[in-house]
Amino acid sequence: MALLEIKDIHKSFGNLNVLNGMDLTVNKGDVIAILGPSGSGKTTLLRCINYLETADAGTMIFNGKSYDLSNTSKKDVAHLRKHTGVVFQNYNLFANKTALQNVTLGLTVARNISKEEANVIGMQMLEKVGMKDRASHYPSQLSGGQQQRVAIARALATNPDIIYFDEPTSALDPELIQEVLSVMKTLANEGMTMVVVTHEMAFAKNVSSHVILMEKGKIVEEGSSKNFFENPKQERTKDFLRKEEM
Amino acid sequence: MELFLESFPKIFISGIVMTLPLAIISFVLAMVLAIFCALIQYAKVPVMKYVVQFYIWIFRGTPMLVQLFIMYFGMQSIGVRISAITAAIIVFSLNTGAYCAETIRGSIESVPQGQMEAGLCVGMSYMQIMTHIILPQAFRSAFPSLFNNLISLVKDTSLAANITVTEMFMQTERIAGRTYQFMQLYIEVALVYLIFCTVLTWLQAWGEKKLNYYQAGR
Repeated sequence: MALLEIKDIHKSFGNLNVLNGMDLTVNKGDVIAILGPSGSGKTTLLRCINYLETADAGTMIFNGKSYDLSNTSKKDVAHLRKHTGVVFQNYNLFANKTALQNVTLGLTVARNISKEEANVIGMQMLEKVGMKDRASHYPSQLSGGQQQRVAIARALATNPDIIYFDEPTSALDPELIQEVLSVMKTLANEGMTMVVVTHEMAFAKNVSSHVILMEKGKIVEEGSSKNFFENPKQERTKDFLRKEEM
Repeated sequence: MELFLESFPKIFISGIVMTLPLAIISFVLAMVLAIFCALIQYAKVPVMKYVVQFYIWIFRGTPMLVQLFIMYFGMQSIGVRISAITAAIIVFSLNTGAYCAETIRGSIESVPQGQMEAGLCVGMSYMQIMTHIILPQAFRSAFPSLFNNLISLVKDTSLAANITVTEMFMQTERIAGRTYQFMQLYIEVALVYLIFCTVLTWLQAWGEKKLNYYQAGR
């Protein structure tokens, strides 16, 4: 059984149709890379799945339970969010909290875990992303790459079933991208289920298990990353890959 | 000089026991009111937000002196007896609260939306995000403006003399009326206000430094 299924999701902003009846299936352990030109609806898809935007229509099945994406109770949304993690393009670390507090706040405040226990988990997570020695630094004292690694630790700390990455390296200087990608690669190898909106072709090719190409709110092509890159079926995909190679 | 030695301590002590408590009590009440109103406006609570807007409109749109007269003499004339000091505290709180509410609302709105979204995504509730993330950051950016309001309020307490509150300015007037040394006494009282506000300015600088703990390079 799939961990997450999205069926026929629609979302428009005014006259602009951003999502036009897309489906998405994610199995446990999948690492799905979502590619596509700007404005294709990739980010909106993630935001709708996490209820940061309300979709106009669509169904989500998560852990065997069905939810209406256009109309879900606050309680269900809260429940869903406690089982998912999100990594944002702009990191969105809590500016007034240290790296460690950023990681532990979801445990102590949202899940009533004791401070001591949360700190142990927090330090483990920071160690995992190579940020243990920066635990007491504030976000403003960290580089973009470091902030994004802390954000990944924050998403991991609550032991989610799935982590959504919304262009996690797009705001980073080129030399900082690699440190974030290598953390993500480690997670993928450990079997974490991940949905990654990205422009990093190398990541899609080498790390992800599946690739989806989106355009105009629909799927152009999807498949295992091997097939997608070596044997694209759609002309649009070939065109997209040619442009990305240049 | 003799007059100075006699009058200045009197004025100064009256400032300590009347002006400052009047300002501080009113300001604390104003802050509670302001945070409440700012949250209602930020969260766009139906109906309540119009009540808040109406309140701010009234209290920012009319002179404080008129508000004091309405609350004390006006109320008295329709049979509602409020002591002068209570009337002063009510008006100072409501008036300053209206200004601070707008300051705080603006500061809450200036906290990036991503902070709220990140909080939601780690499973925190709206109120948890407000208390742990948004309000502390908003407070930092509102702090200088709020201190401005406090400094204004300290000086504006002199208006309470008009509704018979024996605060520092009233005290000064009494001594001046007795000695006819108007110029000297008014300068003395001005000096005391200046001392109070200078200390507050130092406090502000110290507070800003403390609140900058999470901002690099400041």
